[in-house]
Amino acid sequence: MGPHDSSISAAAGSTSSSSSSSACSSSTKPPQPPDQMDHLLAGAGYKVRSNDLHQVAERLHRLETVMVKSNPLEISDLVNDAVHYNPADLASWVDSLLTELNTNPPVPVPTDLSDPHPNMNNMMYATNHAPHLQQVVAQPFEEDVSIQLVHVLMTCAEAVQRGDLSLAGLLIDDLQALLGRVNSGCGIGKVGSFFVDALSRRIVNSPENAAVHSDLSAYENEILYHHYYEACPYLKFAHFTANQAILEAFEGQDCVHVIDFNLMQGLQWPALIQALALRPGGPPLLRLTGIGPPSPDGRDSLREIGLKLAELARSVNVRFAFRGVAASRLDDVKPWMLQVSPKEAIAVNSIMQLHRLLGPNSSRGPPIDLVLDWIRDLNPRILMVVEQESNHNQPEFLDRFTEALYYYSTMFDSLDVCTAQPEKALAELYIQREICNVVCCEGLVRVERHEPLVRWRERLINAGFAPLHLGSNAFKQARMLLTLFSAEGYSVEENEGCLTLGWHSRPLIAASAWQAIPKPSPTMGPIIHP
Amino acid sequence: MAGSNEINANEAKKVVPLHTWILISNFKLAYNMLRRPDGTFNRELAEFLDRKVAANTVPVDGVYSFDVVDRATSLLNRIYRCSPPLNESDRQPGAGILELEKPLSTTEIVPVIIFFHGGSFTHSSANSAIYDTFCRRLTGLIGGVVVSVNYRRSPEHRYPCAYEDGWEALKWVHSRSWLLSGEDPKVHVYLAGDSSGGNIAHHVAVRAAESGVEVLGNILLHPLFGGEERKESENQLDGKYFVRVQDRDWYWRAFLPEGEDRDHPACNIFGPRGIPLEGLKFPKSLVVVAGLDLVQDWQLAYVDGLRNAGQEVKLLFLKKATIGFYFLPNNEHFYTLMDEIKSFVSS
Repeated sequence: MGPHDSSISAAAGSTSSSSSSSACSSSTKPPQPPDQMDHLLAGAGYKVRSNDLHQVAERLHRLETVMVKSNPLEISDLVNDAVHYNPADLASWVDSLLTELNTNPPVPVPTDLSDPHPNMNNMMYATNHAPHLQQVVAQPFEEDVSIQLVHVLMTCAEAVQRGDLSLAGLLIDDLQALLGRVNSGCGIGKVGSFFVDALSRRIVNSPENAAVHSDLSAYENEILYHHYYEACPYLKFAHFTANQAILEAFEGQDCVHVIDFNLMQGLQWPALIQALALRPGGPPLLRLTGIGPPSPDGRDSLREIGLKLAELARSVNVRFAFRGVAASRLDDVKPWMLQVSPKEAIAVNSIMQLHRLLGPNSSRGPPIDLVLDWIRDLNPRILMVVEQESNHNQPEFLDRFTEALYYYSTMFDSLDVCTAQPEKALAELYIQREICNVVCCEGLVRVERHEPLVRWRERLINAGFAPLHLGSNAFKQARMLLTLFSAEGYSVEENEGCLTLGWHSRPLIAASAWQAIPKPSPTMGPIIHP
Repeated sequence: MAGSNEINANEAKKVVPLHTWILISNFKLAYNMLRRPDGTFNRELAEFLDRKVAANTVPVDGVYSFDVVDRATSLLNRIYRCSPPLNESDRQPGAGILELEKPLSTTEIVPVIIFFHGGSFTHSSANSAIYDTFCRRLTGLIGGVVVSVNYRRSPEHRYPCAYEDGWEALKWVHSRSWLLSGEDPKVHVYLAGDSSGGNIAHHVAVRAAESGVEVLGNILLHPLFGGEERKESENQLDGKYFVRVQDRDWYWRAFLPEGEDRDHPACNIFGPRGIPLEGLKFPKSLVVVAGLDLVQDWQLAYVDGLRNAGQEVKLLFLKKATIGFYFLPNNEHFYTLMDEIKSFVSS
């Protein structure tokens, strides 16, 4: 029996937004309301309003006429250097090309709320050819034990959901036996053991018991985080893409203020500081406010990071000021603590933080709404959101468990290609803690409440934010970043103005950028009640 | 060059529904921009523009999907299966994966189609939205399993990479215990593909026949063949219905080994360098030809070639169909095709 030689990935709980209708025998369909998105083209991944079909056709025709008249080499160069946004919105993509190819701009086809980010300067880049596929000698393999493992895991999770803990306990024994029969060095054997461990912890401990589940200090957590950062590209992709978008949002601004929702070791900021230093026209005054948990041992770890960043900034002649805000929870932060000034351009940077606000309501209401509200009040030029692309916040335990199993299997598979130790082992531990939180915890303690991009989009739009599209330049550069990691299974995808990074075909991290729609200002003065 | 652009657009518009015209024109123009005159390809922009869809174990219209990466080859296959009606309302997450423990059936025969997506060897992936949608329809139609292969593409990976990946996929499918069906039991495999995928299906079938690996049938949807000669259909239809001969030439130059011409046996099956198929235990073929596809004379020559070699082949000639007619279920050709495929895998 060989090692588990294939990996399975899917999104367990999502309903695909581009689901197809089955081939129906009758070709008559009820007419669609004109303002609806056309469902035939939706099946091909395009969002076009039924209303706009003829206009889109006309634009395509015009585009073709222009292209036929032009030199093919010119076209491919022009198109290569242009920045493209949100190709799912076919109407605006075609329009942007028409503009690019310098025709008389047509009367704009009405699009949705999204206002495509204005074309930025061309980014030159080196052509990146897909790396050569490495051939590995095929090994005989057998999946039966792995599939059995998954089966028993699900059965056990289901028993847990039903409250049948004694059955669950027996199943844990079965699982341990199965684990003994698979290769625990990779694939389902490895991630399976973490899930078995998490399930047995849940059976033994109360899920709401914070003391049991927060067993690492902030310092130890930082160490794991750092190794996770080194071992795989997810955090680097997040930082890189965020910095790109923030840089663009800060163009032409002299005073800029970045609010980082989780400073950690400030790994994201040296690159931004250096990029600002090299900015044509010179760097702005940069303020960085770093939010992080209070240090238990009297150290002011936030300030320590701030000092290091200040030194770097000084060495590249960027005027820099740092402020640390210690808070155990983001909804404990009050806007006045951030001391924003009306003259500044503000960027709010949230890397895997917003999901932590999806827990039980506080006395003041849903924490996420509170926080999104004060973010909006800050009127940032950009709110950068990076989140895990999975639904680990479903109400039913079994649904969450299944989704997490797929998600983390895929993530572990991607880690397999990392050989550096101890980075890999510690990165795995970092991920294991996430798994434990999703599986073992409930209530306030369960903070890893990941939700997929489609949910975040809804939330943010409802909270008064408009999407800023990440374009083909960010896409290209993210792909270049990946070439630094030897495995070619990583894939960057464009998803309606957002970018995702995943392993093979499964997106694992999604990055999106937003700007606040200013709240309508009152036209009258205070109303005086008699 | 066949006629001015104005006339061509109008002609195409007359024969295809609006949605199809928009979809295929969009691909045509985008692809024109991605191909460079020097033979290189703007892969970055291509991946950015390609609309992709994640696999989904929650059944949608009775079909669910999941991806499997074969570690030995890094090849990704997307598997589509039908969800038993019982499970649809009782939405057990991950239930699909659990069905991998058992064969498809111990009594009935359940067809498994290995599908090679099109894109002239260069474009698209197994997780491209258009192909995900098509494979889902196919799965529901045959009531079986579809395995969509994410083969390596040109110009980064030329001949014979795509054929090798196809061959690996075939061996992989044959060795899955959860794809077995019938009383024997065995995996009841068909090969299918559109455009370049059809070409790949042919070559994998040849290798299978030579190696004694069973393939029950080939379904080729306007497969990509060609040659140095210019056939009449190429001259007549050049540029008329979304495709130009020069585009086709570019893709062959990107796929075939450098310095080769289109009489290479990968491209010109029954040409001067073709491999004879007489006496080979080649599967029966269903070859679908779109009457407005400029490649049709090559496809018809392929059908003749198969017949002359004593192989079983059925030709489905759809006179008014253009390339890509099967992406949207908004025309009669689509339904005709679906009926033919269904009876092909049931007989």
